[in-house]
Order: sequence, then structure tokens, then C-alpha cells
Amino acid sequence: MDDPYWFGQIAAANALSDVYAMGGVPKTAMNLVGFPLKHMDLAILRRILEGGLDKMTEAGVVVVGGHSVEDNELKYGLSVTGFVHPDKVLRKRSLKAGDRLILTKPIGTGIINTAIKGGLATPEITQFVTRLMAALNRSAAEAMAGHPVHACTDVTGFGLLGHLAEMVVGAGLGAEIDSTSLPIIPHALEYAAMGLIPGGAYKNREFRETIVAIEPSVDRGVRDVLFDPQTSGGLLISVQADHADALLYDLHRKGAADSAIIGRVVSEPFEQIRVI
Amino acid sequence: MQKIDARGLACPAPVLQTKAAIDEGADLLAVLVDNKASKENVCRFLETQGFETIVESWETDFHVHATRAGVVPRSAAESLSPESDGSKIMVMITTDRMGFGDDALGMKLMTNFIKTLKEMGASLWRLVFVNNGVKLAAEGAAVLEDLKTYEADGLKILVCGTCLDHFNLLDQKRVGETTNMLDIVTAMQLADKVINI
Repeated sequence: MDDPYWFGQIAAANALSDVYAMGGVPKTAMNLVGFPLKHMDLAILRRILEGGLDKMTEAGVVVVGGHSVEDNELKYGLSVTGFVHPDKVLRKRSLKAGDRLILTKPIGTGIINTAIKGGLATPEITQFVTRLMAALNRSAAEAMAGHPVHACTDVTGFGLLGHLAEMVVGAGLGAEIDSTSLPIIPHALEYAAMGLIPGGAYKNREFRETIVAIEPSVDRGVRDVLFDPQTSGGLLISVQADHADALLYDLHRKGAADSAIIGRVVSEPFEQIRVI
Repeated sequence: MQKIDARGLACPAPVLQTKAAIDEGADLLAVLVDNKASKENVCRFLETQGFETIVESWETDFHVHATRAGVVPRSAAESLSPESDGSKIMVMITTDRMGFGDDALGMKLMTNFIKTLKEMGASLWRLVFVNNGVKLAAEGAAVLEDLKTYEADGLKILVCGTCLDHFNLLDQKRVGETTNMLDIVTAMQLADKVINI
């Protein structure tokens, strides 16, 4: 991400996702900055902080201060505090057999960002993915509130299957993903076929390959996207099956337009993910 | 043959360097990378561009050899021998003794076989050792010197890493490159003839 203002927005959206995934409402945030004063213009930092502040304002969050240090490379993140009723905290591993799994943003940001780095992405797709990463998971979180959601997490660096694995391992359950229903960013499959795949995707796959079984019929590019590390990805929601369609409707209505039912939670095979 | 050393570079730099070489019209490429992700990415890119690839593992590095489909590669071995018709023969040796019956005889025959292989001339393109065959490439094997001569003359000798590991011979290998099943399968696909012993 070359534009400092968008970089700030994306970092802020990303930082907020944890609170949204827990069913919380974020209230305050603190900036955390590492900045290479000697090699970078301070105006860049100003734009980053503006981006972060604007995104927090959009989320109804007050930025109460922060910490900055001189660093060899640029780092920006935020520490976010939110509120949630103790009985309503959504956890990662409290899913139930039979639940439907809903993903609220399309995947493939790692692959697209690799293509952008390589100068091979079109301006249209660059803009699309920038806005996607900067989009808050707020509307998704608000849509969840009215439904029997059992578990939720936000999809980031471990990729879709990495985060799904965190949910099922330890819960004593398994999951089944329907690869044909996955929301995937346009061109991500094409760039994956060209080998524009971030190193992290291979690491994610290696780490989880023992618990993941992918049917041979699944497209090679789709296999890559499943492990592609996401920046500020969507929420992965495990909802009671008979409410899945109603939740999906609310997600679409509130603006999480790419949300899709991507699979279900199963009791067998235990701690395994099957992709069909 | 265009060589690209993309070691120490993160994705997508190795792919971009490969792309630049192809854009300049390269038909034969050797790309050197130092991690699996780059190896996979470079192979995929080359395949989408209509290249055939072979990967050799070399300690922590990977050599990706690529040929544009339809271009006949002229390797060192092939160009050395005038009688070569350009065909590529892969000999896969799955045992340290030839045939069944008498083991002592089988081992003698195998030694003789390997010594005689040179009569294939430059058509002999790959010599692959798997299962019990890897013992022929390990310390103490009767044919080690012959194999070393072949290798010095440009023959590519591949030795199955899983098999070496199985027999606890990983540090006893004295000739050839440690290989994996993907490389073996790719070599089979590229060879004109595969002879299985």
C-alpha cells in the first residue's frame, strides 16, 4: 500500500476487527507508531494518522492518544478498547455442529497485493482491494447482533482455512467448505495461476495441511486463495443453521454485500476441514 | 540459456525477474531461488507462459530449469556427443541387484549394467535411483567411481531423498543430487524413453 492515507485507514479497520469479531462495540483507540525519521518525510506520518483518525471517527471511536518511537521501518497500528456484555462475548471456539459458516468479505487480498507490488495489477482492481481492506466490519458485527451466532473470528494473516482451523481445533468439531460458494476477489485466481502468491500463503498451508483435505476437483487457484493471508479480512461467522439465510439477508442489507454462506460445521471428521 | 539468481529475494521479485527474461524472448531459463514459495511461484508463472519446468533441489536452494514448449534443449551432455539423436532416455534403478534368483549374481550384473550404460552415449539423460537402488550411490558402492565419472561428464544423477532417509544413508550419499517424487515424475514426463530396472 503506497498511499499513506489509505494505509492508515486499513490499519485502523484491521485493528477494529477483533472487537467486532467478539461482538463488541469499539470505543477508544491508541495510536502505536514506529517511524524512520531519518529516511521518511514526516508528512507521510501525518497522512497515515489522518487516515487512522478518519476511520476511527467513522467507527464512532475516540482516538485518545498514542505512543511513537523512532524505528528502522515504518509501523502503524492501534490498540482498541471496546465494550460487550459479558454474556454476549463471541468466542472463536464455541461453534456447534450443524452451524452454517458465513464469510463477510471476499478473499484474495494477499495475492492481489503481491500483484500490486509486482506492478501487474490493474488500477481498477487496486482501487477495489484498497477499499475492501479499508472497509469496517462494523455492519457485519451489527447484523450478527440480532441472530443466534455461536462463534466468530476475523480473517487475517493465517488465511481463511488457518482461522477456520483455529475455530474447529479445540472445539472438537470439523468443518466442510463448499469451494464453489466462496466469495473471491476478481482476478485473484488469475494472479495465483501466474505465481503471484505471497510466501505467507505457502507457510499457512504447510502449517495446516495435516488437518485439511481438499477434493481433487477443486481448482488450483482456489486452493491458494484458501490459505492466502488477508489484510483486514472479513468476519467468519458460525451461526445456527436455521438463521443462516436471515443473517445473510441482514448482512447484505447492512452493506456487507459480498457475504456468503461458505460451509458448515460438522461433528465428524473431528478437527478436520474438508473442502469440496 | 539465461540464468537468473533470485536468491534472497521475496515474492514477487523472482517471478518478475523471470517475466522480464521471457519478455526479452528467452527460450531457455535457469532460475535459482532459495525458498519453496519462490520455487512454486516461478514454476507456475513459467507454466502459464507455456514453459516446461524441471526443478532440482540443491541443499536449501532450488534450480528451476525451464524450456519453452517446442524448443529442443541442448544440454552439455547432448552437445558433446556427435552420435546423439537428441532423444532423452531416463533410466530408473529401483534395486541394487539386477533380476531375481541369485543375489550375488544380481549385484554383479548391476555393476556391469551401470558400467555399460555409457554405451547409450549422450541419449542417457537422467539416471534416477530409488528404493534399494540408492545404495548404489552411497559410500562403499562398487559403482561409485563410474557414477562419479558419468556425473563429471554431464549426466544428471538423481537420488531419492526419502529412500536415503529410510535407509539412514542421507550423509552417506557420494554422488548425484538428492531429489523428490515431483522431480522424478517431471523427469519421466519430459523423457522420451523411461527404462525401469
